[in-house]
Amino acid sequence: MATISELLEALPADEELVQEAPSQTEVLNSLSQRPVPLGALRRLWSLGGLHARVGLAYMAYWMRSYFKNADDRDRDRMETHLRSAVKILNTMGYLRGAVMKIGQLAANLPEIVPDEFVTTLSRLHFEAPAMHYSLLREHVHDELGGDPEEIFAEFETEAFAAASLGQVHRARLKTGQPVAVKIQYPGIARTIRSDFRNLSAVLLPLRFSRDWENLKSQFEELRSVMETETDYEREAEMLRRVRRLFNEDEGIVVPRVYDEYSTRRVLTMEYLDGQTMHEFNDSNPAQELRNHYGGLIFRSYCRILFKERMLFADPHPGNVLFLDDGRLGLIDFGCMREWNDEEWDYMRGADEALVDFSDEAIITHIRRGVDLTEEQLSNAELMRLMVDYCRWIWEPLVTNDNFDNGDGSYIRRGVDIAMAFAKIARPAQKPLNVFIQRSFFAGWGLHHKLKSCFNGKRILDEEVRVLDWPHRK
Amino acid sequence: MSMLIKEVGVRVTQQAKQETRQRILDAGITLFGSKGFDETTTRDISREAGIAVGTLFNYFPAKEAIVLSLVSDRLAAAGLEFHKRLDSTSTSLAERLFAHVATGLRKLRPCRKFLSTTIESCLSPATLTDGNQSIRSDHLEAVTALITDDGAAELPSAMALQLYWTLYTGVLSFWVRDTSPHQEDTLAMLDQSINMFVAWLDTQDADA
Repeated sequence: MATISELLEALPADEELVQEAPSQTEVLNSLSQRPVPLGALRRLWSLGGLHARVGLAYMAYWMRSYFKNADDRDRDRMETHLRSAVKILNTMGYLRGAVMKIGQLAANLPEIVPDEFVTTLSRLHFEAPAMHYSLLREHVHDELGGDPEEIFAEFETEAFAAASLGQVHRARLKTGQPVAVKIQYPGIARTIRSDFRNLSAVLLPLRFSRDWENLKSQFEELRSVMETETDYEREAEMLRRVRRLFNEDEGIVVPRVYDEYSTRRVLTMEYLDGQTMHEFNDSNPAQELRNHYGGLIFRSYCRILFKERMLFADPHPGNVLFLDDGRLGLIDFGCMREWNDEEWDYMRGADEALVDFSDEAIITHIRRGVDLTEEQLSNAELMRLMVDYCRWIWEPLVTNDNFDNGDGSYIRRGVDIAMAFAKIARPAQKPLNVFIQRSFFAGWGLHHKLKSCFNGKRILDEEVRVLDWPHRK
Repeated sequence: MSMLIKEVGVRVTQQAKQETRQRILDAGITLFGSKGFDETTTRDISREAGIAVGTLFNYFPAKEAIVLSLVSDRLAAAGLEFHKRLDSTSTSLAERLFAHVATGLRKLRPCRKFLSTTIESCLSPATLTDGNQSIRSDHLEAVTALITDDGAAELPSAMALQLYWTLYTGVLSFWVRDTSPHQEDTLAMLDQSINMFVAWLDTQDADA
């Protein structure tokens, strides 16, 4: 087994990362020279290797930046985790969808990864191996009982957007209604389940390590989110629930689902004509417009959380559309996570600590979300850093003024705290806490990309009122 | 007058023969589907078709020949359907090859259940009989036309066609046992197999 030092030395240098990613043609050519994969079906996903390599390169960057200052003892301590992580990513080479999701998560933190790396990762959203029309027609025929040109009045054979697990086509119903038809690559849902079973086996040798239970539950969390995302019937249900939350005059619109044209693998929704965040940013919009949309995005996320107890697992630019009339379109509800009563109680506790904001309240909250040993609890520096970290995370939610998300210094401060944190200890966090942080980082990464500036505290105060929590009175 | 009577007589005889052949095929697909290939006897098929057992053997020497004819007829119909919609939608060679095979699979779907026990003996790349030889040659002729229509300077080599046939029969073998919903795994496998084959063809062209 390689040590951390050896792993670090073997990794490509930063500037090599982007160059390392081969074009799809190169991948195909190289595939053609390899033995034909006649084994298990999961081997069909060898094209996913492209994304796995980018995923590995991403991990390489993290490892270098994260540990280059650590001493030998710290490195040794982290070896087990990193070795298993590298194994996971290697195995995920067959798993196009999952590795792309990792890419999406990483692409939303522009301040942490180098610019060229973000560009590469961002492109992954749109460079999934596509289904050509003949494949799509067979798949739709099986799912909806007829060829697309029979089922719909019009159907564009070219996809207008790629989803990580499929692609989206414009179409028109026979009633004349324009729709977006999201179609999942055949078989990918069961491939994900199969690969996660394999990954469980890979993780098994770690069961004696101190963090085994924690690692296992985080892995289960990821597996569950990925499985959820592959079920379009569930996503349709999410769309229906969220659509009910917004009145027409609120400027937030969620597309209607057409059940008769939807299955677990095909999702037909009302077509929203708007700009993607990338297009919006390229149009050099006025700051007021950025702020307007930033506020709407934040309000919509608060509304969904407080009214439906649901959170986007990975808020990313593909979740939103900027409509010409100033309305915000919310799309892509594949990756929503619902909270049970116990988890919601944890959420209420977090809000209580946020409102109180004292060291004591924050530490009480931390102890609910992080498994701390007695030694860690008595480590004053560690506890101080954890409180600082919480205060930093909540800063945009307690600032009594507009908060400028375009200012990168906020994220850089957080990274500094996290790095100092990593040098002292790595307390085991509960999966829910990991999930919330991931969602939070991705959400603020999104606002940072939008360079929006708005009063998050005011919006939060307005939206949380619906819960009538005593500590909010 | 007598010539006309004779011609009409021949037409009637041919038509009657064609109808009998079709009755046998219809009986075969019904019984193979409900009882399974192994459990169905030629006597069962004759009874279902309303003919004598001896008459059946005038048309088909064995049960396997009935299966091959069913496959052959359905693939021929699929070929016509494929060509009807070829121009408007399919663009790349990989897509056209995919559509060609997928149209065939769709036509063969009613036979899928009983093909699982007969596919190897009927269509194995290593086994050549009169029946499967014509299926193979018709299919590969269509594939050759697609490759040359794509602008290939030369006809595909015998090695290329054998490789294709091996992939194709492999996909068929996978498909008949595919337990995924609507055999969606087969669609993925076919997609990847065709991509691999076309990429290999490209490298052969480049080498040439």
